[in-house]
Amino acid sequence: MSEAAVIPNVTTPEWELPSRGVVGMVCLIVAEAAIFTIFVVAYLYYVGKDRSGPTPREVLDLPIFTSVCLLSSSLTVHFAVAALHQARRGLCSLWLAATVLLGGIFLGGTAHEWYKLIVHDGLTIQTNLFGTTFYSLVGLHASHVIIGLIMLSLALIFSLNGSMTAKHTGRLEVLSLYWHFVDAVWVVVFTVVYILGR
Amino acid sequence: MHTDPDHLDPNVIQLPRPTAWPMILALGVSLILAGMVTSVAVAILGLGLCLASIIGWFRQVLPHEAHEPVPLEDAAIAPTSARTLLPQTKEPAAPHRVETFQLATGIRGGLAGGLAMIVPATIFSLLKFHSLWYATNLLAAGGFVSWGGASDAFLCQFHLQGLLAAIFIHGLTALLVGLLYGAVLPMFPRYPILSAGVIAPLLLTGILHSVLNVLSPLLNQRIDWFWFILSQIAFGLVCGYVVNLQTRLRSAEFQALPFAVRAGLHGNHGPNSIDKKDSSR
Amino acid sequence: MAADAPVPAETAQTATTHSAPRRLVLDILNDWVTTVDHKKIGLMYIGYALVFLVVAGIQALLMRIQLSLPNNDFVSPQAFNSLFTMHGTTMVFFVGMPILFGFGNYLVPLMIGARDMAFPRLNAFSFWISAFGGILLYFSYFGASGLYGAGSAPDVGWFAYAPLTARVFSPGHSTDYWTLAILLSGIGSIGTALNIVATTICMRCPGMKLSRMPLLVWLYLVTSSLVFVAVSPLTAAQIMLMLDRYIGSHFFDTQAGGSAVLWMHFFWIFGHPEVYILILPAFAFANEIIPVFSRKAIFGYAAMVAASVGIGFISLSVWAHHMFTVGLGAGANTFFVLATMIISVPTGIKLFNWLATLWGGKIHFTASMMFAIGFLFQFLIAGLTGVMLSIAPFDWQLGNSYFVVAHFHYVLVGGILFMIFSAFYYWFPKMSGKMLSEKLGKWHFWIFLIGFHLTFDFMHVPGMLGMPRRIYTYEADRGWMIWNMIISSGAIFQAAGTLLFVYNMIWSYFKGPVAGPDPWDAWTLEWSTPSPPPAYNFAEIPSVASRRPLWDLKHPEDPDSNYE
Ligand SMILES: [Cu+2]
Repeated sequence: MSEAAVIPNVTTPEWELPSRGVVGMVCLIVAEAAIFTIFVVAYLYYVGKDRSGPTPREVLDLPIFTSVCLLSSSLTVHFAVAALHQARRGLCSLWLAATVLLGGIFLGGTAHEWYKLIVHDGLTIQTNLFGTTFYSLVGLHASHVIIGLIMLSLALIFSLNGSMTAKHTGRLEVLSLYWHFVDAVWVVVFTVVYILGR
Repeated sequence: MHTDPDHLDPNVIQLPRPTAWPMILALGVSLILAGMVTSVAVAILGLGLCLASIIGWFRQVLPHEAHEPVPLEDAAIAPTSARTLLPQTKEPAAPHRVETFQLATGIRGGLAGGLAMIVPATIFSLLKFHSLWYATNLLAAGGFVSWGGASDAFLCQFHLQGLLAAIFIHGLTALLVGLLYGAVLPMFPRYPILSAGVIAPLLLTGILHSVLNVLSPLLNQRIDWFWFILSQIAFGLVCGYVVNLQTRLRSAEFQALPFAVRAGLHGNHGPNSIDKKDSSR
Repeated sequence: MAADAPVPAETAQTATTHSAPRRLVLDILNDWVTTVDHKKIGLMYIGYALVFLVVAGIQALLMRIQLSLPNNDFVSPQAFNSLFTMHGTTMVFFVGMPILFGFGNYLVPLMIGARDMAFPRLNAFSFWISAFGGILLYFSYFGASGLYGAGSAPDVGWFAYAPLTARVFSPGHSTDYWTLAILLSGIGSIGTALNIVATTICMRCPGMKLSRMPLLVWLYLVTSSLVFVAVSPLTAAQIMLMLDRYIGSHFFDTQAGGSAVLWMHFFWIFGHPEVYILILPAFAFANEIIPVFSRKAIFGYAAMVAASVGIGFISLSVWAHHMFTVGLGAGANTFFVLATMIISVPTGIKLFNWLATLWGGKIHFTASMMFAIGFLFQFLIAGLTGVMLSIAPFDWQLGNSYFVVAHFHYVLVGGILFMIFSAFYYWFPKMSGKMLSEKLGKWHFWIFLIGFHLTFDFMHVPGMLGMPRRIYTYEADRGWMIWNMIISSGAIFQAAGTLLFVYNMIWSYFKGPVAGPDPWDAWTLEWSTPSPPPAYNFAEIPSVASRRPLWDLKHPEDPDSNYE
């Protein structure tokens, strides 16, 4: 049959290339990071430029507990991947469930914060520049958390009904990469909105 | 769904199975957005398509990616060249490649030249302004635009940020120019001192002199071009000396080569060779 | 492998629909709609871009008719506004990007010895979402009946400066159509870029080290990486604009303290790298075509790679040269002037390397090569006017004039479009299996060249005489008439040349001579497959030992691999 472009007597010892899932996810993360950068720049550009209140200092509280929850979920998802790698599926389900729970707590915290801001402090996206930039930046992050939670819940379901095996470690690892990114973005958002911006 | 035996069949190749779900998902997303400019019903339709296609797509890749076998066609291709081949030699001619420059040479030359340049620049500062730092700050003014209009007294004082900025600018340019020297000097092997020490500095100064007036007239007024050329020549001589030390290109054989070869525009063989035997076209 | 081994009847029926003599139209349609094959998706990208090229070209012709005479009212001012908006938006997002991604889709896997892209389904999704974006944009001409602002095409200019895009100044849905279409095309671009990067990194055949990749693949890698950091900001800015228009936030609402300049920053952070996203694939074509028709390997492979990566990085730090007239302050102006000038260094390196490749080569003046040489000269001139415009005081004088329009059309038409034509003449045989007519191709080249220079050389002049861009009409005593007349007459030549090209493609597809696998005696892997390549590209995954695997195969007595 065709020997098209096969150079005879060429030995290619080991030819290993990176996993396409990881590379694809890294690309997605770079693109997403650029989107977040623009929103962060807008936040910093407009911070303190409002002519009317409420200002961040007046209404924002540090969401320390929920932040700790979100950040520690990075650890639990890492453990889940490690457990699946060792083919310990029960343990993997447990860690995944913990991750979903911690992410859920964070989301609940954000919902509670928004409720307080909207109902008690009267801050909506239309109120002023702070409202505009705050809700869009935090909301953009929250929407990423929601997408991540949906994916993690699916993984949990597959893990529970036994269709996720050690063969799928690679895919779960790609998902965990995304989740680490979501957490890392929160570190930036937290610093910008709750520390620098206040 | 997943047929394993095909994997072993040498006459088929496994390719991803065609699927309409990506197209339907794209349509769904588009309809959701189109709903914003038309009516909610369109968006709802889009949402439905999205959900359906996400599930459909999911089942294409999980638990296994869907494949379909494609039979091999009989199409043996042996690429040939229309040109007559070179006469078969018993062993490939020993590659006698022309030496070209190495990055490290240029870097070393640039750093050495950069250090040498500090001497005339400092002498100029001391003689004209009785300060060690004037030249440093003047260079830093290239980075801090407001310094371009600052008083002489200000520029004579020591400023840490000025020193840092000057080191950065000076180091970077010295490095880049050094690399340029490393690349260009081997092309002009006959009069190394003339080309490296005089012609190149004069050319560089000429370019800077004409550009700076446009870029920053304030800075331009302050520069003493006599001393500037002096430091450029110091740079050129030292940098050129170091580069020439590193590259042994003074052989008579090399000098005899035409310029195009010295510049690497074409060698006599190898990847850059021309098909001299190209006869058919 | 035995070539004549019997094919099981069942698989033959399901998979070799190719060889069936006649098929129902529906069957063919189904084939294309459901395909995940990178070659078919690439062809769909190209076909769809060509349709929009004709549409946006007609818009350009209408504008030139309107401007050819003073005090003309060939179209209404409103229609003129939407003409230049739609022309710019279409050409950038629905012609430039898709046609380049189309070639990338088709060529990258073939050149690196892969059977498909890394994510074939994502590839199909990205194509379709860009395609629907274009359809949505043009749906704005019709609108939907019974809706407010039905049938109003966007008219805010292709960079849609705030606050013109606010609800107050742009009621109805015309601006929304623009934003949504660009959002969709942005999703598609990021998807395809991701795919190309993953493919080049993860799908290379054995032996295809990064240092052996064809330069085309390298440039597509750089372009795609640029897409992540350039198109994403645009997507973010469009989301902000949507929030402003639909929910009432204040990002670009100047009355509530929002900033119009921020939009300019966000747009040009995208807008400038976008120029490089478009021109780098053109460079990529030149890198493959010029060596083959000079019968020499590319000169300075490593320098070319370094220059491409350098261009990628520098292009991210020059965006504000589009904003000199805003008044950024001395510090920012100086920075962006210098950064912009520095980008001419790697670009210059590339030009010199191409010239050095030509130097001493045995040049074959095929239609493809003629377009490539035209590209070299025209891109040089475009670069020179670019350096002129990069000087802030010069830009203050000529910013937003026809000089700027002439400059960037020199890049886009004289540079990119010429190289796209060149690529068509070069790769059409691979894609269709038939040669394009060289004779018609040369007519196309000369007619288009004359038209191009008539239009865009002379367009610099009214710019210097003070004619602003986007002007609807002008008085007779301005002294611009004769120039505009010449410019418009050139447009007719360009249209004629393009028609000839389309005719050539159709005629050659049916009647052209059969190309065979390797009509140009070229050196990269795509020419080792039949024309057109089978669905699986390579019966056996190739392995390579040098940058020119086919040279090695054709010249076993003197393979490149000896010199690596
Ligand atoms: Cu630009």
